[in-house]
Amino acid sequence: MLLELSRISKSFGPVEVLSEVYLAVDAGEVCALVGDNGAGKSTLVKCIAGIHDINSGTIAVDGAPREIHDPRDAAALGIEVVYQDLALCDNLDVVENLFLGREKLHGVVLDDDAMEQLAAETLDSLAVRTLRDLRQNVASLSGGQRQTVAIAKAVLWNSRLVILDEPTAALGVAQTRQVLELIRRLADQGLAVLFISHNLNDVFAVADRIAALYLGRMAGVVNAADATQSQVVELITSGRSGAVGLPDPNGVQS
Amino acid sequence: MARPATEELRRRNRSALLDQLHRRGPQTRAELTEALGLNRSTIGALATDLSESGHIQETTGRSTGAAGRPSTLVECVPEAETVAAVEVRADRVRLALVGLGGTLLARAEVPLEPGADGPEAAELAARLLADTPAAETVAAVPGLVDAGVVAQSTELGWVDRDFRTDLERATGRSWRVADLATAAAVGERSRGDAHRSPNLLYLHGGRGVTAGMIADGRPRRGSSIMLGHVVVNPGGQKCRCGLHGCLEAEMGTFEQSATIEATTTAAWMGDTAAREVVHRSGGLLGRALGSVVTAATPDEVLFGGWLRELYLSSAAAVRSSLAEATLPQLRARLRLRTPALGSEGPLIGAAETGFEALIGEMR
Ligand SMILES: Nc1ncnc2c1ncn2[C@@H]1O[C@H](COP(=O)(O)OP(=O)(O)O)[C@@H](O)[C@H]1O
Ligand SMILES: [Mg+2]
Ligand SMILES: [Zn+2]
Repeated sequence: MLLELSRISKSFGPVEVLSEVYLAVDAGEVCALVGDNGAGKSTLVKCIAGIHDINSGTIAVDGAPREIHDPRDAAALGIEVVYQDLALCDNLDVVENLFLGREKLHGVVLDDDAMEQLAAETLDSLAVRTLRDLRQNVASLSGGQRQTVAIAKAVLWNSRLVILDEPTAALGVAQTRQVLELIRRLADQGLAVLFISHNLNDVFAVADRIAALYLGRMAGVVNAADATQSQVVELITSGRSGAVGLPDPNGVQS
Repeated sequence: MARPATEELRRRNRSALLDQLHRRGPQTRAELTEALGLNRSTIGALATDLSESGHIQETTGRSTGAAGRPSTLVECVPEAETVAAVEVRADRVRLALVGLGGTLLARAEVPLEPGADGPEAAELAARLLADTPAAETVAAVPGLVDAGVVAQSTELGWVDRDFRTDLERATGRSWRVADLATAAAVGERSRGDAHRSPNLLYLHGGRGVTAGMIADGRPRRGSSIMLGHVVVNPGGQKCRCGLHGCLEAEMGTFEQSATIEATTTAAWMGDTAAREVVHRSGGLLGRALGSVVTAATPDEVLFGGWLRELYLSSAAAVRSSLAEATLPQLRARLRLRTPALGSEGPLIGAAETGFEALIGEMR
């Protein structure tokens, strides 16, 4: 397993937001994380990303437990998080954004042409046809195109796990489709993808496995090929569906 | 007696080398040596031979690896061999001229009158083709195609149309005719993202819904799967084919091909009627697909044409009904994807069909 979380708990003051959460994501797969508003999805992402410290539990990468206290710790492990408010520089062009910070990481200095060619190849490998001019400032891009640049960056930087928190929330229907295809392509290229969404169509369109958080606990993880929409809805809304789910969903908040 | 054997071997090696370059793109001599399992001097002799015949050229490529030293790459000369691919759709005829190595050299498109017959479509193909030099000419047509005859095409409204003869009369050239969905499957497997799937099912949403299949790496030529006429609701809506409750009739395909964008957008914005249509169509598609998956056991399914939009907008419904209509063993490793080549798949695949024949004949 590329990423394995076990018994992760996180409290803000007296409020326990995550309780003994487990989750595993492997290379080459899209694992979707679903749950109602406030279930703890973003908090879990921030724990993996090093923005929040966990109170207990372990985060293992390639089977080895790791301490992640800082976003740089996560980056060093090959974990890239694409947030909704993307960290792109509006006054730089697409190529410059793709390479921003890369020199520091690898100590290689590339000339402009080489950067442009590498950027084009990366976008090509992801079958991105929506970014014609790589020399335009990202300020002029649509939401979907910005999302594309942020995701392509993860590939270019040789990330191994890409986490996307509600990447389609602010996009129109056509752009959502392109981003979904891109997410799927990332995993098909061998990356591990953790995809947070509360749109079940988006989830079923790309996920191999679906993990449902219910009030800060992992209600269940199901294979997308075996699941039906109503089972996943049940897991999200009641923490249980048939034989899958929390033993006592209503006792969670004890 | 020794000479013909050597000559035959040389031809085989020439064809293998060209095939490797055509499929995999520019490579170094060392990579070719490795890939073909021939020795260095043989590769050298073949490269010289093929350079002289104008099929390949050697260029100083970009720097490879961390060392950054430029290496000499062997690559195809696109103009050395060309294939003309034609796609016939309900409202247009498209042409792509593809060169060796898969380079697109030219493309053109003309509108097709609704209800046009075979000779009319062939006439447009002839006009697009004009005097373009092409070693092979291949047409992709949506429907049930067998040995050059379009047995049934919902999209074009043709029945038992000998389209190959129409094309040959109009152009004076010889033609291959492929079913559009099968051609797209070939394209996606050779130039798209589906190279890992020896058993590939390509679903095409046009005026009708058809499917093309690659089995054990080989296209099931000429025999597309009439997915649109899988009965999903016995005794339901009357279909154009005469049956009742076909997928096409139940989904209202004829409206959807024109309005899929409007319907899925309305659904996405929350319109309850549109959501119901999209959800129901997705569920029916999943059910029909379930039967095909059970019978044909593909590794991968691609949703092409407007089925791309429908799948991405109703995947929860598609997968839910697929889960209810197939065995766990058949669906566990089934990949559901959208085509990497988008709407270019059929033309690219038709051209690849031509190149396969062309390179095969060089042996
Ligand atoms: N920094 C914080 N301080 C206090 N409470 C927080 C903080 N971040 C999130 N929470 C609370 O944790 C719970 C889970 O939130 P979140 O992880 O954002 O859920 P989701 O992403 O699933 O909607 C919510 O009740 C939220 O109010
Ligand atoms: Mg959130
Ligand atoms: Zn029918």
